[in-house]
Amino acid sequence: MSAERTDESGQRGLRARVDAFTAREDAWKWTFGAAVVLLALLPLGLNSFWTRIALGALMWVGLAQSWNMIGGYAGYLDFGHGAYFGVGGFVTGIVMVKLSLPFIPGLLLAGVAGAALAYVIGVPTLRLKGSYFAIATWAFAEAMKQLALILGITGGTFGMSLPTAASSFGIPIPGGLSETFFYYVMAALSLGTVLLSYLVLEHSEFGYRVQAVRDDENAAESLGIDTTRVKRQVYVLSCVIAALFGSVYAYHITFIHPNDVLGSLITDQMVIMVLLGGLGTIYGPVVGGLTVFLLSRMSSLFLGSSTIYLPLIGVLIMLVVLFAPSGIVGLLNGQTSRADVKKNVHELADKFDLL
Amino acid sequence: MSELFTQTLINGLLLGGIYVTVGVGFSLVFGVLEVVDFAVGEWVMLGAFAGAVLTAALGTDGLYLVPVVFVLFFVVGFFVQPFLHHVTTGDRPMPLLMGLVFTFGIATFARGAVLTIFGPNTRSITSGATSGAITLSGIGVFPTIRVITAAFGVLSLLVFMYYLYRTKGGMAIRAIAEDRTNARLMGINIRRYQSIAYGAYAGLTATAGIFIGLIYTASPGMGLQYTAFAFFMVVLAGLGYLPGVILSGIVLGVVQSFVAVYVSSQWVFFSLFALIYVVLLVSPAGLLGKGEAAT
Amino acid sequence: MSDTPILETRDLTKQFGALTANDRISFSVSAGEIRGIIGPNGSGKTTFFNSLTGFYQPDGGTVLFDGTDVTGWKPFRIARRGMGRTFQIVSPFKNMTVRQNLKAVHTPDDLDDKEARIDEILEFLEIDHIAENKARGMSGGQQKLLELGRILMLDPSCILLDEPTAGVNPALEKRIMGHIRALNEQGTTFVIIEHDMSVMRAVADSVTVLDQGQNIVEGPFDEVKDDPRVREAYLGRHADDEGVPI
Repeated sequence: MSAERTDESGQRGLRARVDAFTAREDAWKWTFGAAVVLLALLPLGLNSFWTRIALGALMWVGLAQSWNMIGGYAGYLDFGHGAYFGVGGFVTGIVMVKLSLPFIPGLLLAGVAGAALAYVIGVPTLRLKGSYFAIATWAFAEAMKQLALILGITGGTFGMSLPTAASSFGIPIPGGLSETFFYYVMAALSLGTVLLSYLVLEHSEFGYRVQAVRDDENAAESLGIDTTRVKRQVYVLSCVIAALFGSVYAYHITFIHPNDVLGSLITDQMVIMVLLGGLGTIYGPVVGGLTVFLLSRMSSLFLGSSTIYLPLIGVLIMLVVLFAPSGIVGLLNGQTSRADVKKNVHELADKFDLL
Repeated sequence: MSELFTQTLINGLLLGGIYVTVGVGFSLVFGVLEVVDFAVGEWVMLGAFAGAVLTAALGTDGLYLVPVVFVLFFVVGFFVQPFLHHVTTGDRPMPLLMGLVFTFGIATFARGAVLTIFGPNTRSITSGATSGAITLSGIGVFPTIRVITAAFGVLSLLVFMYYLYRTKGGMAIRAIAEDRTNARLMGINIRRYQSIAYGAYAGLTATAGIFIGLIYTASPGMGLQYTAFAFFMVVLAGLGYLPGVILSGIVLGVVQSFVAVYVSSQWVFFSLFALIYVVLLVSPAGLLGKGEAAT
Repeated sequence: MSDTPILETRDLTKQFGALTANDRISFSVSAGEIRGIIGPNGSGKTTFFNSLTGFYQPDGGTVLFDGTDVTGWKPFRIARRGMGRTFQIVSPFKNMTVRQNLKAVHTPDDLDDKEARIDEILEFLEIDHIAENKARGMSGGQQKLLELGRILMLDPSCILLDEPTAGVNPALEKRIMGHIRALNEQGTTFVIIEHDMSVMRAVADSVTVLDQGQNIVEGPFDEVKDDPRVREAYLGRHADDEGVPI
């Protein structure tokens, strides 16, 4: 049963209440249920512009969650994850344009392609550890971008346009391909990703094995865990999800270019969202995703510059890594307390004793 | 051998000279700070941009700004290092990887800030040296600036090697790279030397940047290419193995030169990245197997 | 104690470049035995464990576990067969609770109730009161017990312990020895690397001495300690009158 916790000042503050809630066995169900209802009703109160923003936020939460699977839960920092987003988009584009198929098979094939590529890449690459894995995945993703810029089938340096007719979806949709429609698709995908993460990574033996790999791979191996297989499974799963999001994104935005959907910024953003929110937690990508996404959109609107989100994200990454490596969730659940941050700052100040 | 071939080869060697500067610094940072600096290309970009902005503002010849850029970025690097050190040590999850992520942040910030403040356009650095050329009869015509750049590359490498192997400071840095714990026990002020090392790296790399800006141009997006180059050099040589970097830097310059002249330049970058990836998978300690192990 | 060796090596060799860390080690442990492994630093003890459990690929020789040739098998397969091991530096899965640490371990397919087994082990090791605590922040002693608990989830027939009493206070040392004896009475074989000779003398049925990668002598502790080859191996260290290294 959840114990009543009081914070340092002896009062039942916000943190104590949050702790008490999250300690409940069914907290998850309530939270998820509330989220489903909220997201289902949200478009009713939003105009097209804001629906689009919400759609974007949902996509990034889902993408961040997918990176969190391999980066946060498994501890393998994948710096090429964005490539699968782009691959999903381009495969869907190719399927729809060159094979003249509707979107639904395009989506499915994007998932299959993502899985196949992730398997082929994962088997050799996951043998590398730490920095080497990061560099290798980064190089792989950059190579994919270059390839897309060269090949004719992806449109080369011109990019690729996807069909915009409502009939291209495959089944009739009431209201056509509106922002609201895409909103619901993203919401479904996003909610599904979060639910999947929860069931597979937080509450199953498989999830414990994944985290064991992260915490101490050798020990995990010595305890009968087939670490190679576990890593591969998480990696493929996380990449398929990224590919699916890429597919929907491509169909929504109708024009994709390698520098956008295969650019390193996609990965950068996923990484910072999870870091800021809290690596390896279920709420981290949600909190971090919403924060970073809204921050970048707002900064474009209110600070006038369309590129100012870039240095802002850079600064955010640095700040989080410096002072709150467990992210916002870490701050909320007490892993990083105010005292920890203070201690952190002091230690950093000490380091300036250079001369 | 045709004149074109020789000319291409020598151009490649000249280019290699400056690439080595970047690669050596990058490799040193890995050895001393145990950090893979994803911002290496951005230091190049910052140097090039500083050159462009300062020549436009002050009206001086770009070459005179070389020492200015060096000092400026040495100082910047010197004071950035403690942050990096803080991130890679201490009680936090995955410290060394966090260092890598931190440099990702630096890179994103640098690129984004320059883009936001100065806009996306390419700029050039004015200098008297960019117009002249040296003619070697029977061999070819070589732009003066490339020769000067290569000379700088060689000179800086020699000075760097001298510092590392013949001075107390250099010995301290090598000791730290070799065995940090024992270096500390020997009374070496780790923090100071780490800052010196990172400052020197930033200064050198930015200076290489201003030369590259003189040869080509400066643009906010140019960093990625040089990050790729640095990784290429260091992965092929094996992370931490300095002599190998010198060789792979020259190889890089020559290959780039030849591909630009004889093959389509389209495939250059794909090949670079693909090679980095393949070498990491197949021989993570570098082609000669002398670098640090990958596990 | 039966005569069929449960763990056996024949000419096991492991090299690192010019260094031969394990030099044709032949070794055999009977089921139900507690075997000690001693030897000066650098004699190849931990390398030997790594070669036995698949963390190193031997360059020569064979490893036989319960009659099966497991040479070069991946560590998780050897673990699943029933050989558990600890590492010199204790490392629980820090971000998970004690219970989750145990739950992550692979258990035999015929285990019906994993939770019950977890409870059993927690009780046996007397750490059930901290079952829901995160492993990070546990004391060193609790971490050692957790490590043992994880291995027990494998239902191992043979457990390799690498310096189990290193850095451990006397009370905990006694407790660990008690657990080892209790498990041994139920039939678990132990192979223990130790530097603490009093522990070896107290608990080991016999010891194997490694020096410079070779198995130089085997036998009951009291016989082995007087062997001139063993003294020579430890030469350069202080020894008391009885020849036992201090």
